[in-house]
Amino acid sequence: MTALVEIDNVRKVYKRDAFEVPVLNGVTVDVPQGDFLALMGPSGSGKTTLLNLIAGIDRPTGGRISVDGKEISRFSETQLASWRSRHVGFIFQMYNLIPVLNAFENVELPLLLTKLSKKERREHVQAALGIVGLGDRSLHYPRQLSGGQEQRVAIARAIVTDPTLLVADEPTGDLDAKNAEETLDLLYRLNGEFKKTIVMVTHDPKAAQRAKRTLHLEKGRLVENVGMAASA
Amino acid sequence: MKFAKLIRRNLFRNKLRAILTMLLLAVIFFFVATLLAILDNFEEFSNSGAGSNRIVVQSAISLATLLPYSHEQKIRQLPGVVDTGKLQWIGAYYKEKSNFFANFAIDGEKMTSVWDDYKIDPKQRADFLADRRGALVAEALMKRFGWKVGDRITLKGQIFPFDPELTIRGTFIHPVDTGSLFFPMEYFQQAIGDRAEVGTFWVKVKDPKQMAALSQQIDAMFKNSDYPTETFTEKEFQQNFMSMMGNVKLLFTAVSSCAIFMVILLAAITMSMSARERVTEIAVLKAIGFEQRLVLTLMLTEFVLLTIIGGALGCFGAHYLYAFVDMGKVTQGFLQNFGIHTKTLLVCMITSAGVGLIAGGLPALRASNLRVVDGLRRVV
Repeated sequence: MTALVEIDNVRKVYKRDAFEVPVLNGVTVDVPQGDFLALMGPSGSGKTTLLNLIAGIDRPTGGRISVDGKEISRFSETQLASWRSRHVGFIFQMYNLIPVLNAFENVELPLLLTKLSKKERREHVQAALGIVGLGDRSLHYPRQLSGGQEQRVAIARAIVTDPTLLVADEPTGDLDAKNAEETLDLLYRLNGEFKKTIVMVTHDPKAAQRAKRTLHLEKGRLVENVGMAASA
Repeated sequence: MKFAKLIRRNLFRNKLRAILTMLLLAVIFFFVATLLAILDNFEEFSNSGAGSNRIVVQSAISLATLLPYSHEQKIRQLPGVVDTGKLQWIGAYYKEKSNFFANFAIDGEKMTSVWDDYKIDPKQRADFLADRRGALVAEALMKRFGWKVGDRITLKGQIFPFDPELTIRGTFIHPVDTGSLFFPMEYFQQAIGDRAEVGTFWVKVKDPKQMAALSQQIDAMFKNSDYPTETFTEKEFQQNFMSMMGNVKLLFTAVSSCAIFMVILLAAITMSMSARERVTEIAVLKAIGFEQRLVLTLMLTEFVLLTIIGGALGCFGAHYLYAFVDMGKVTQGFLQNFGIHTKTLLVCMITSAGVGLIAGGLPALRASNLRVVDGLRRVV
């Protein structure tokens, strides 16, 4: 498989007042097209930082990150914003829906940055909500939805632009077992049926088991690479 | 606009806070619009003499000191003078002191030559001239007291020891003077014992360019007499009259500025709170591709809308209130023909937008410059 994401000797150092805190120390890894990769590790190991770098919402201190042949580590902020709108779908632990917008409007948000007509946007939103099984809840506001439903709306928002890459940061971290299982089923389906490349940060070994590969990070270094561990 | 719904929903996301902020802005802008309108009202009065080709001769000692009629003969003979007329401030009121308004004794027959900007029905003018105790009244003043032509009224004198008993013989229309009453000079003279003295002579001049020279000439002519004069253009005279109220313009401008400054601070606090509450949401918007400039535009639009709505409620509220309420009556004649002008409305609306930009500028800029990872860190 060709590599969609190429991470080459990436370092990340945070500055905290006068101190420099190294978070990633020369991580090199490829994420092939269609992969479902789980990033695991203890708190502070650098997994969320690595995810943020892959998603283009943070910049590496050193090294190179390419996604789909484009070296995003050299992009300006404006270029990154534009690139993210077209190529990355985000799924967060706390869902992060906009509370003043209903499900339909939340899913429509990324499409407002495109040139699609209102009619085309509506078709895309309905399709995305249909995939996550919430077509009948499109007019509900986040406060009127359960945690599992909120996360499914967030997933619909992540896939509505048909992005190259889905990044998920602890997508089941705030859900009960049943809703976590449904969310993982959905991600598994997006990867298998819709061929979406997914990078997921998780603490949960059960969640990691649904991925095709698991990378373990410790103190900013890659310590283990478990391949093709996915199960239906 | 694709983002209108997002802006509108964010504007009213905390309805109570949004409504209270708008009400605060409305009250402040109502107050500011009213102060500006009062200034406009004064300004109009001060400028009412502009372009009238009239100069006013009064005593150099004070406006309260009377000048002898003989001065008028000498003034009339000066080259460039078209005509002269006598005018005396009476300062009486109707029934109660609260019913105060401007009232004068006037050379009635000079209302077609010296005071030709007063529009009077010829028949009513003739009736007025034929009656020593007749009165000409501004239409707005007739309305204020519910008077009709033919009514007999008695005013209560304060400056001079007589109570003018008058019969209303007609009304007049004037672009600025909407609250005065005139009665014949003869009646005033009779009341004060035919002293042949008056407070002011109004001089109609042929060429407005000559007004300054004529003023100097008149004052020079009476410099060494028992009754020295001080001569002004009509505009200067009205401005001097207004200046007796003190530096109202400076006071009102200072009070308005303080009110605007206060509302900027209060709006800035509200907007900072609103922006801070949404740090994570802003980070999410930026993560999914909203550029810094777009976030800044959305937030500033929201903040400016908030202040514009508040400002509009206040100044248009004042506009419609004063259109329906007779402020002449409410203020006992102090504010005649009072209203919020289009220019004042425009100034208030621009100021309210400015308040939004200034108060919301920093919170919006800080929010739009937020690093996505910093914004997400709070909950992720």
